[in-house]
Amino acid sequence: MTTLPPPGAPTADLDPLSEQYEASRERLGIERGLDSIDLVEIGDSTMELNMGPMHPSTHGVLRLVLDLDGEVVRECRPDIGYLHTGFEKDFERHTYWQCIPYTDRMDYLAPLFNNLGFSLAVERLLGIEVPPRGQYLRVIMCELTRLASHLLWYGTGGLDLGATSAFMYAWRDREKLLDINELVSGVRMHTSFIRVGGLMADVPDEFYGLVGEVIKTFPKLIDEHELLLTRNPIFRQRTIGLGTLNAEDAMAYGATGPVLRGSGVAYDLRKAAPYSSYDHFDFDVPIGRTGDVYDRYLVRMQEMRESLKIIQQAFANLPGGPVNTSDRRVALPPRNELNTSMESLIYHFKLVTEGMRVPAGQVYQAVESPRGELGFYLVSDGSTRPYRCKVRAPSFSNLSALPYMVRGELIADVVAVIGSIDITLGDVDR
Amino acid sequence: MTAVGSPMSGARAADLLERELSAAVRRREAGFGEETVWVGREDLVAACTLLRDHQDAAYTTPVFVTAVDWPDREPAQPRFDVVYMLRSLQYNDTCRLIVQVTEDDPSVPSLERVFAGMDWHERECFDLLGINFTGHHDLKRILLPTDWDGHPLRKDYASFGEPIAFTHNLEWALPAQERPRDMPGASR
Amino acid sequence: MGLSNELSVTSPASGRIVFADADAGTIALPRTGAAERTAVQSGIVTTTFGKLIQWGRYSSLWPALFGLACCAIEMMSSTASRYDMSRFGAEVFRASPRQADLMIVAGRVSQKMAPVLRHIYDQMPEPKWVISMGACASSGGMFNNYAIVQGVDKVVPVDIYIPGCPPRPEGLIDAVMKLQKKIAGELPGSLLG
Repeated sequence: MTTLPPPGAPTADLDPLSEQYEASRERLGIERGLDSIDLVEIGDSTMELNMGPMHPSTHGVLRLVLDLDGEVVRECRPDIGYLHTGFEKDFERHTYWQCIPYTDRMDYLAPLFNNLGFSLAVERLLGIEVPPRGQYLRVIMCELTRLASHLLWYGTGGLDLGATSAFMYAWRDREKLLDINELVSGVRMHTSFIRVGGLMADVPDEFYGLVGEVIKTFPKLIDEHELLLTRNPIFRQRTIGLGTLNAEDAMAYGATGPVLRGSGVAYDLRKAAPYSSYDHFDFDVPIGRTGDVYDRYLVRMQEMRESLKIIQQAFANLPGGPVNTSDRRVALPPRNELNTSMESLIYHFKLVTEGMRVPAGQVYQAVESPRGELGFYLVSDGSTRPYRCKVRAPSFSNLSALPYMVRGELIADVVAVIGSIDITLGDVDR
Repeated sequence: MTAVGSPMSGARAADLLERELSAAVRRREAGFGEETVWVGREDLVAACTLLRDHQDAAYTTPVFVTAVDWPDREPAQPRFDVVYMLRSLQYNDTCRLIVQVTEDDPSVPSLERVFAGMDWHERECFDLLGINFTGHHDLKRILLPTDWDGHPLRKDYASFGEPIAFTHNLEWALPAQERPRDMPGASR
Repeated sequence: MGLSNELSVTSPASGRIVFADADAGTIALPRTGAAERTAVQSGIVTTTFGKLIQWGRYSSLWPALFGLACCAIEMMSSTASRYDMSRFGAEVFRASPRQADLMIVAGRVSQKMAPVLRHIYDQMPEPKWVISMGACASSGGMFNNYAIVQGVDKVVPVDIYIPGCPPRPEGLIDAVMKLQKKIAGELPGSLLG
């Protein structure tokens, strides 16, 4: 029988293997030993942890410096710029036609929206209008791209939280949409299909079959995806109540898209400022209630269904006619005319070598991309190259709300919150 | 229609500023369905606070801030156009404000305390164009490395990667060690 | 007038791979097993034991996750359901470079990212290989400007280049297969003492 040391006696010089040491730890209040979560507080200092830029779950090269107090995030400082490509400088050096492939690579998960925003801005400065068939096809291709982007978000978001099957299912379905991209333009991802004045070309006949398949099969496929996660207790426990962003703060940070709608603000540019015949279609804008990760998830899942509704309506009412504007300042002349008409030849030559001349002025055109408001502020000085093209990237503003959303959350939840914002680093860094 | 019309016009903001803060409005112009208001640098914070708080305006969302560089305008007119766009979700309107600053003093008061989202947009504008936002709590580079020299989106910054190697400048295709020593950029 | 062999970056005579370092001019770094590798440029592996080791190395390449931009999406596509890259042994994408032997640089490398890239490359243990995926990684791609490193081979030595913007998933799988052939032809080097 050993004697216990008196209470308050220092234990530093006791042999840890002795019985007296065990007993004295009890006196300090550590009941279950080192496994206890009620550890004696060591001090006030936080630990600085670096997350990224090479990290499997940061959705690109995002670097976060986290101030951790144990597992709780006290402060988060994002460090971006690891994918800065200098797009805006490149826009100033290329003609409008040459800028289109550059726009593809900015938000590379939904490339057609970049094309659309840029083309609409230039078309507004030029004062030309795209024929109805071109507008409807733009809508169909853009909504297909929105589906593809949301599926990718779903797959990678699920993968971050451990749902590997979600990744595989989502990407299997995404491949069907990339097949349509490849059919109309030859490229799976960066199609550059939407151009100033219309489209790259009219769609081939197989397009109708493939889109019809999508309309028929995707509602059930989205149901399958919802089956995996929406009522899954693990997923719900990991996402409900996490990363809350209320409506005023969402607006103050400039958040748009599902992040804003998840916080309860019903603002969708397709309804608020319709472009490219979106006002011809009947669809709803889903909104969340509390602005947590689960709400944003539900908003995006419902947006996928609304996209299918839009595609169905546009497909059913697809008009005939040309897809490109006939305005000769912009559109290349038909090739058979080049053999007979001198003026056509000269137009063709000038358009291809010099580019189209756009009247001087400034315009801001925004489209509703899967991430939010993608805006192009285009300043033209009357020449064939943009004078200044500022891209208002949705992920940039959405990401600036991240420090606010993760303050007080556990570090394991930071990954879930980043996934719910759905950032694309190409968009953030440009 | 490709033009969007009134939700981007900004007429509501321009009218409000002319009514309440007419001293601040230097110029007002409309074009392509949108209205732009030029305000003075010293009135910027007051104008934005009015636009944010007034019940008829409620421009609570910052869209972006950037600058356009017109180097040939000096000395007749200031070189930079610092462009702000604000949005009112309640009234579905977007307005544009422009502040002109010169090359010698490219500074504007920071709107960080008025809109939380302006923090990063102002850092980006500083990074790429060199506009100094006075009163910003930590104006440092956001997209480029912190030790970068120069502001790339200015018109006098020559953006250059490397020449494309054709047969007439074949030395560029050689490994760096074997290039002629007197070539520009030979040390890279 | 065609391009002659003197323009290749790997100079076989010395067995060293020469690449440029942005700050200090050029560095010539001898790679492990380089001397042995030059002796078998014709692709003959002599010992059975060597063949076995190389078979083990190429059949289970563990790529380090280095997806930067759009090419990363096609890299993910190549591991997803349709173009299943785990058939070729490269299924396990390691998040930690210390457990990886293949670095697929997928995407454009900006000036801010280049030191990080080199750091991660240095953290990988030998033997290691690098695939430069896409036009931006191979040569700077369409971005001939201030912000993008004009080719990742200015920072790390590259074994296989894949053209494309982005390359199809089949292109990436073809590159992995070519790399497997290349590894099969190399001697294990340091493992044999």
